[in-house]
Amino acid sequence: MTSTELTPADYPLSINRPELLHTPTGKALADITMDAVVSGEVTNEDLRVTPDTLVLQGRIAESVGRRQLGENCRRAAEMTAIPDDEVLAMYNALRPRASSAAQLEEIASRLENTFSAPTCAGLVREAAEVYAARNLLAEED
Amino acid sequence: MTAPGAVSTESVRTLSLREIGPAERGTKPDEVVIALSPAFGDPFTKTIVDVPHAEVIRQLLAGIEERGGSARVIKVYKTADLAAIAHFGAKISGSGIAVGVLSRGTTVLHQRDLARLSNLELFPQAPLLDAEVFRMIGANAAQYAQGQSPKPVPTRNDQMARPRWQAKAALLHLKEFDCIDHSRNAVEVEPVITKVD
Amino acid sequence: MTAVAPRSGASVQTSKRTEILEARPVNLDGFVEEWPEKGLVAMESDYDPQPSVRVEDGRIVELDGRTRDQFDFMDTFIADHAIDVDTCEDAMATPSVEIARMLVDPRTSRADVVALGRGLTPAKILDVVKLMNVVEIMMGIQKTRSRRTPANQAHSTSAKDNPIQVAADAAEAAVRGFAELETTLGVVRYAPLVAIGLQVGGQVGRGGVLTQCALEEATELDLGMRGITAYAETISIYGTESVFVDGDDTPWSKAFLASAYASRGIKMRFTSGTGSEVQMGNAEGRSMLYLEIRCILMAKGAGVQGLQNGSISCIGVPGAVPGGIRAVAAENLVASWMDLECASGNDQSFSHSAMRRTSRLLPQMLPGTDFVCSGYSGVPNKDNMFAGSNLDTEDYDDWNVIQRDMQVDGGLRHVREDVILQVRNKAARAMQALFAELDLPAITDEEVEAATYADSSDDYPDRDALADLEGARSVMDRGITGLDLVKILERTGFGDVAENYLNVLRQRVSGDLLQTAAVLTGDFVPLAAINDANDYAGPGTGYRLSGERWEELKKLRHVTSAENPEEEVV
Repeated sequence: MTSTELTPADYPLSINRPELLHTPTGKALADITMDAVVSGEVTNEDLRVTPDTLVLQGRIAESVGRRQLGENCRRAAEMTAIPDDEVLAMYNALRPRASSAAQLEEIASRLENTFSAPTCAGLVREAAEVYAARNLLAEED
Repeated sequence: MTAPGAVSTESVRTLSLREIGPAERGTKPDEVVIALSPAFGDPFTKTIVDVPHAEVIRQLLAGIEERGGSARVIKVYKTADLAAIAHFGAKISGSGIAVGVLSRGTTVLHQRDLARLSNLELFPQAPLLDAEVFRMIGANAAQYAQGQSPKPVPTRNDQMARPRWQAKAALLHLKEFDCIDHSRNAVEVEPVITKVD
Repeated sequence: MTAVAPRSGASVQTSKRTEILEARPVNLDGFVEEWPEKGLVAMESDYDPQPSVRVEDGRIVELDGRTRDQFDFMDTFIADHAIDVDTCEDAMATPSVEIARMLVDPRTSRADVVALGRGLTPAKILDVVKLMNVVEIMMGIQKTRSRRTPANQAHSTSAKDNPIQVAADAAEAAVRGFAELETTLGVVRYAPLVAIGLQVGGQVGRGGVLTQCALEEATELDLGMRGITAYAETISIYGTESVFVDGDDTPWSKAFLASAYASRGIKMRFTSGTGSEVQMGNAEGRSMLYLEIRCILMAKGAGVQGLQNGSISCIGVPGAVPGGIRAVAAENLVASWMDLECASGNDQSFSHSAMRRTSRLLPQMLPGTDFVCSGYSGVPNKDNMFAGSNLDTEDYDDWNVIQRDMQVDGGLRHVREDVILQVRNKAARAMQALFAELDLPAITDEEVEAATYADSSDDYPDRDALADLEGARSVMDRGITGLDLVKILERTGFGDVAENYLNVLRQRVSGDLLQTAAVLTGDFVPLAAINDANDYAGPGTGYRLSGERWEELKKLRHVTSAENPEEEVV
């Protein structure tokens, strides 16, 4: 899947390339039916995007020249592994003067090592560098 | 809705703020501090809807007095941030209660123990604040200072305040910023209101 | 309604004509002189920087007159994320007048002018659009807007946070043609019930409408992840470092948040607009448009698919200075040119004058934008909890007539009364069924009846707000999701609404709505700036109002029949 060539003609994937899509629990898009919902076969867990799908959407964006949107999709693909609460906690930690350099580095390491999220870790390290230069780090205790 | 700014023009009151000394911590347990912004009274003389600053002070003091409170007035020079002005006032208020007022009329009721960006009551739409509202704010301040829990002053809303006043508010805000004096400490002032016929 | 009476004249005698002019609504609007040193100027200021760029070792080391050691965080983020290092030196060497002509000239393709734009700095972009008058700006928007088919967005809110009202007005807005619906609250704790009303009402009116609830980040994301809302928009960004920090964010925190939304399959756009920085007292001596262009490039750099701009809640500031509404049109142009979805404002009370409200609208409505209004008040302005919009429900017929007069698609249509009553009634009944099944405070038949025929929140019986708030809390505590609502709708006789809702939820699996300017058609086909890319290339090309859609827009409330002039067309 990761090597699938995509062009703008593949969009929308839900209509043109449904065979490439699956839910986080491995169901096909066509399995999400009202009957399956009513019987409880399909749960809220199924209605989430997978990292594979985000990578595909990122490639489509890049195929029409949207480099940054593609990159955002790649960061998002990495973030699917991070629990909701922790995503919000990391966002709050990136607010101005909310974290020390060490705290930001700890988040970057966790992104890299626990969640295999190197692109996100890169964004956090970059922030740490800019915050240091612009006096936007928290005072060290 | 009453029209703010429709203040009687038959006799005009002017305000001068006579400096008494540095703004220091008060001791009266029920006092309210009225904390004014850098341009209040001088160089500005009226709010965004032409309520004279003299009238603002007169009504606040009257509201405080009619609820049996006492007041001190201070002027802050180091910031034009309403929350910071009011919070400073609250910290030196004997009761811990302060009313912060910007030149354009925006007003907040603050308490010493609250976070700076929090407040007891906020009146963000300066164009809707008239003499009557300032009197009610004063009355509520006095009640908070006496440890009571007054009913908040009813807030007014006007969809069309933005097109009329937003830019003038920005202009007044910029001018007020220009009056900030980082080297000057807050002072206690005696408001002298003179009636001119 | 207004805050003050018209300005009273002095004692000097005035002419009767002057008295009439003084009484005109436009004289209730505020106008101020420019103050460029402080940034109180629309787009032409001697205090804006001159364009420049320098690249060393594959990195931008100079941007608009500042070297990297002088960069603030906006400069750094824009230099490192927004601007194409490979092309910027060539792009910057192109004369501004050439680029401005490319934006207007139909023989230059959108792709070419967008590609060139990827290498430009904020000051250069400003230099280009400063050369353009408002008609040329509209030409540019017509060509550069990302989606081919224009659309529109509505607000559906209630002064009493009444979820039944929000549902009924959402249903009406959806059937009238809005592609997106947005709500917010007076009392924030009401959010779950009102967001449910918006979603259910929307799906009753027209399957595939996308909904959002403007709240603080955590709650907004939570409602999105539960599938109660479908997208997010109120993610604010600012053009100076100081104001950005006052807003308790940075470009990096916002970029992280953008990825967080995408990681949950939820469509999202940022919000910015001219005037916010000077309004907050920290424009750092730059013009409003210069700072807005920095916001647009920041949004592009973050990889967010779109931006809501067009001054938005600060419209009173550019609206009061000379050339301000031209600058607002220019910011929409730049967002479109930078290849972002543009939800183009027209969403806040702007003027006392109906004539001026219309003229402010035309630069977006005539060329078409991704969302002409962001949004149009789908409730009377007194019920609008976004503090009122430039257009509201009273303007529906005027809007439809302007579309027909100009043969322009503003995203709406006239809908027969019986259809409107039917969807309003059905939305209220669907809410009644949902509330009953979820053990929420009952919705009475009287309320359903009121919702069917109501105009404003005054026309509804009062609800027990405390009981509703308790119910709202329990919806969150019980972890109710969109799928739970689908199941209830299915088993209570609203199978078609349930299908529509489920179809919206399925989109999260495909991620199709994450692409630029994506909306859903009534057949649940995602329409984005990929499969519906704007192909305008001059007269006779691009989106043309024709065929079935044009026939639809010819209908108004009252049109005399040609066949039988004694009757009106139904």
